[in-house]
Amino acid sequence: MIKLKRAVGSTLFAITLSLSLSTAPAFAKKADDTLRVAMAEEILNLDYNYTTKREYIILAQMTDASLFDVDPKTQEIVPSVASGYKFIDDKTLDVTLRTDVKFHDGSVLNAEDVAYTYNWIIDPKSESNATGIIGRWLDRVEVTGANTLRFHMKAVYPLALRDMAQRIMLRKKDTYNPGGVVNKNAMAQKVNGTGPYKVTSFKPGQEVVLERFDGFFGPKPAIKKIIVRNIPDIGTQQAELMAGGVDWMFNVPLDLAQSLGATPIAKHLSGPDLRVSFVVLDAAGYTDPKGPLTKVEVRRAINYALNRGEMAKFLIGGSAEGIHTACHPAQFGCDQKSVDYPYNPAKAKEMLKAAGYPNGFPLDLWAYREKPVAEAVAADLTAAGIKVNLRYVKLESLDQARANKQISAYIGTWGSGGTADTAAIARIHFSDETDRNLSGDAQLNKDVLAAEQTNDENKRRELYTKAVGRIADQAYWAPLFTYSANYLVSPELNFPLDSDGLPRLQNASWK
Amino acid sequence: MLRYILLRGVLALAVAFTVSLAAFLLLNVATDPARAIAGEDATPEVVQTIRVRYGLDQPMPVRYAQWLGGVVQGDFGESYYWHKPVAELVAERAGVTIALALAAMAVTILIAIPLGVLAALNPNSWIDRTALGVAVSAQAVPNFWLGLIMIILFSVTFPIFPVSGDATWMHFVLPAFVLGATSVPAVMRLTRTGLIEVMGADYIRTARSKGYSGASLLWRHALRNALLPVISVLAVQLGQKFGGSVITESIFALNGLGRLALESILGADIPTVQMLIFVFAIVFVVMNLLADILNAALDPRIRIG
Repeated sequence: MIKLKRAVGSTLFAITLSLSLSTAPAFAKKADDTLRVAMAEEILNLDYNYTTKREYIILAQMTDASLFDVDPKTQEIVPSVASGYKFIDDKTLDVTLRTDVKFHDGSVLNAEDVAYTYNWIIDPKSESNATGIIGRWLDRVEVTGANTLRFHMKAVYPLALRDMAQRIMLRKKDTYNPGGVVNKNAMAQKVNGTGPYKVTSFKPGQEVVLERFDGFFGPKPAIKKIIVRNIPDIGTQQAELMAGGVDWMFNVPLDLAQSLGATPIAKHLSGPDLRVSFVVLDAAGYTDPKGPLTKVEVRRAINYALNRGEMAKFLIGGSAEGIHTACHPAQFGCDQKSVDYPYNPAKAKEMLKAAGYPNGFPLDLWAYREKPVAEAVAADLTAAGIKVNLRYVKLESLDQARANKQISAYIGTWGSGGTADTAAIARIHFSDETDRNLSGDAQLNKDVLAAEQTNDENKRRELYTKAVGRIADQAYWAPLFTYSANYLVSPELNFPLDSDGLPRLQNASWK
Repeated sequence: MLRYILLRGVLALAVAFTVSLAAFLLLNVATDPARAIAGEDATPEVVQTIRVRYGLDQPMPVRYAQWLGGVVQGDFGESYYWHKPVAELVAERAGVTIALALAAMAVTILIAIPLGVLAALNPNSWIDRTALGVAVSAQAVPNFWLGLIMIILFSVTFPIFPVSGDATWMHFVLPAFVLGATSVPAVMRLTRTGLIEVMGADYIRTARSKGYSGASLLWRHALRNALLPVISVLAVQLGQKFGGSVITESIFALNGLGRLALESILGADIPTVQMLIFVFAIVFVVMNLLADILNAALDPRIRIG
């Protein structure tokens, strides 16, 4: 239904575009210095410590500041609320805070607030969405002075600063348990953050109004006011853009973005995205211990059969490109020298024949995301002689089947949470602690986990190079392509595109 | 009559509970609510945290029994997404849907009844065929298509009405038209058929012989009787509008129960879905009951119970 709606919407807009252009209203809201943003996902909770999805990250970037930040240009971790830090040893980190950080209610942030936030998050009572991630490496945080803290870690963890930059939003002491009474929703409707924008009005599921926070310690945002509107239908979002009711929309399907972007109404921006797509193959034989996918020749044949370059170009577009690694080329440790399987359907057929499958074999291929990609993968595999039964399902159904070890092959995607490090994709897909790992490779599990147990960058790079190389050599995956983030924005708006694909609305400005 | 109403009330409750049980089972079988809430890139730790937080680690029968126990005490539970009692959430959203449904009914009446009258007064003429054509087209056109066309025409090309939202009455004009259009064919055809039948009745001939003609004949004698079945159909259609506004509310970003239902189903917000289904089922049965009662009240020949 949704796909049909999109197709119809696309056609309608194409047909009526010329008519609309003649009477298109004035652009944007530069005059009142208000940026209007459309999001399909309903915003229901303003506290990123209790949410996960992309839209909430975008909001949290505006309402909250964290101890560290990711430099959008270099992708390096830089101090933010922290003014400095020093590792005393591999598992002890001292952090000094800035003294000019204020909450939106005007109170000044201190070490007690920071220690409280972290200690609360790792407390199982908090049931925060970040508990599992931070609790894996953080033991406790100790206040050592008015503006100094000591982080005691359970284990060596090279991405600790990155987690601190991206996952934990700082709260005032006792926010979530005033008087000892736990209130996990304390910040859900009215967040008291430290970020460059403060929330002045929030209608859950409808609208969030943000205004520049004059007490922000960092560079002041250029735009005074941002209104985030929840508009579930992409066609309606476009109509709002055409009518001047919206200045920025994201996750725009390529065809729609191109058609409107070619007009004076809106500008189509296509930026990089750390999300990658891939086909995961049941090499371990969970679904069939002696099945064809347990043979490396068959898995390699599948890699040769897929025309990933054309999929990237025609189905995703923009900056998307075919990949041959089980990680994004921009990620640390994602060695591009690993084995490549260029598109060669004839060779794929030969290899299948050599592996004992001259007439192919039946394959259940699961997919949940872009249907055209699923169809393209199925068509390429069919052309190589594999009898594909495409099972296009909801993500939750795929997750459930995978957890039950019922999936022989599936098309997956991973965004790495915007983290330009192979760690953000390797552990979740190739360690023994995840049902996503269909490789059954103990050595790979060991290497992937070992890479997270050292702070030595060279050692980490070496381990990831080895792991990524092994994945490619054994063809545990058939990597497909990187994604491209498509935006439609007002021609009056400067919107920077960062290499991690995270939209940073706080850095937008008017032309 | 009272016994009949009581019986229908019990039936409504039985329908509501059965449907809610079916919805609960389907949602739990079709999806894993914890994974749906966590989102695409959630790690297993996050999924597990959510599972525990919302009690989704409990067996299904236990969860349903807990929900049922709450409902008996008037507590429909708390939304997984909204972090507030579902009853409060539904009450907040109901206003928009009621306004939309009533406005849509007004649109239906304003279009369908004049069209039906015109068609009946000119049977088998070009007017009749045109009216029928309009009605059939309205039925054949999907909501989302008509919605987008309306937006393009009346919000973008000729910016008369706002594209989306529900802040003012202007925001309801296009959605009401889109939602109301779907009921036009049924009401129009019923009006036409009823009026043609009535116009051939003996008492109309008598009225004519008394000197009644034109509008006075139509209003005083014909339409009052011809519209009896239409009124009961309108009551049923109104019930359908409450539960059938999902697409319209999504297209126009109206914050009503339909959009809430869609978001809740997609996000596996089970307590919200269950209460919505409960409410929709009750409304639908009540509207059917109301149609029966109205019919009985308007036509003394009909007796119910």
